[in-house]
Amino acid sequence: MKGCKRNPFSAFFFILTLFSNLLLAQTNSSQIDFFSPQNRLKFGDYLFREQDYLRAINEYQEYLKIANNDTARFKFAFALAEMGRETEALDNYKGLFFSSPLNEGARLEFYKINFQQGDFVRFRDLCTEKIYLPENSDLIIQKLNRFSYLLDDNLLPDSAAFVDVFDQGEKEQVLNFYMRKKFPPYKSPLTAAVLSAIIPGAGKIYTGNYGDGITAFLLTGILSFLAYDNFKADHDFRGWLFTGLAVMFYSGNVYGSVASTQIYNVGIKFHFENEVKIYLNEKKYFLNKYDFLNR
Amino acid sequence: MKNGVLFFLIGFNICYAQTDWVKWNAVEISYELPSIEIRNFKIDNGNVGSTLLTGAVKTYHVLISDIDGDNCPFFPSCSEFFIQSVKSTNVLAGILMFADRFTRDTNFFKNRAQYPFHSSGKLYDPAVNYTLKFNNINHIPYDQIVKD
Repeated sequence: MKGCKRNPFSAFFFILTLFSNLLLAQTNSSQIDFFSPQNRLKFGDYLFREQDYLRAINEYQEYLKIANNDTARFKFAFALAEMGRETEALDNYKGLFFSSPLNEGARLEFYKINFQQGDFVRFRDLCTEKIYLPENSDLIIQKLNRFSYLLDDNLLPDSAAFVDVFDQGEKEQVLNFYMRKKFPPYKSPLTAAVLSAIIPGAGKIYTGNYGDGITAFLLTGILSFLAYDNFKADHDFRGWLFTGLAVMFYSGNVYGSVASTQIYNVGIKFHFENEVKIYLNEKKYFLNKYDFLNR
Repeated sequence: MKNGVLFFLIGFNICYAQTDWVKWNAVEISYELPSIEIRNFKIDNGNVGSTLLTGAVKTYHVLISDIDGDNCPFFPSCSEFFIQSVKSTNVLAGILMFADRFTRDTNFFKNRAQYPFHSSGKLYDPAVNYTLKFNNINHIPYDQIVKD
């Protein structure tokens, strides 16, 4: 273009802008040791904060081979527990039980993992024998001890002794749980069987399965009528055939009513235990007060 | 320089914008529903009862079920449920469990809150829940999808 003077440096600046970042972005990568213990700890802490426990475990594991750091070991054990590697977590917490400032928290976590493992008889034995019991968290452990009775099939203690460790605000809800555990709103399989034996399908209606109950009544009724009608018309073979089918569906309905009651009761148990677990999570008895956990 | 870059960008787009020059045609779509159960036609020769039972069920599969189509709303299907029932209990209890399942299958007003869904889109109803063993019953909330 005439009159337009080309800047002789424009091409140079263009190329410089394009490639300077690529060429100069990383100049000292060879000088940094990414795998030094301190960098592994930093990266492990970062992953831990991001709740990427799976990868944090690897970093802490490598770091702890070289250094002995109680905080790192605590977080390592915590991450292991979060990833379901409970036995390894327990072993690492045990390493902090003596002569560590974190021993109280480690002992509480030890009890927490034992509770979460679901072997409540063993958990209560630990509580009774006070094995590695955290001194300052005795009340929390006692509360968990009471909750363990709600989550297994062992005999419940006396109601007054059960609720005495809870605060006034918690007592009402805990007593509600206690009563529901002691007197669960189960349906009786025997009642269902007797009802279905008297009126086919009544046992299913008793457990709330109205459609199944009505269908069973109609099916048994129709087959019985067909049997009666064929016998009346001297069709003996068809009469016996429909009699056999009617007996099969009648008996099947009695059996199914009992099974239906059991399924109903398992549902009641499942929802009750679920409610208890949600309550426990909301109460956060397990929550650690350590800032370094950043949760 | 500017013209060069501009020419390069335009040329690049023109050259590589469309590489697939094959004419697009209508695709043949199959509306056939694939069966979710893999048929095993092997007859169990463990004892006389299981030979007769599996023989009868396999005959039903070949002569009726495979021709009629995949119509059972449950997973496992009623015939498969029958085999599972007999294997987990005995012939008598298996027949009763099957009669109960058939009644529930016949029910036009199936209670949605009674069964969870299987990943195949069918209602999940395994035989193990009907063996009258309380601790074996696997309660799955109905709003969950079971992957098998």
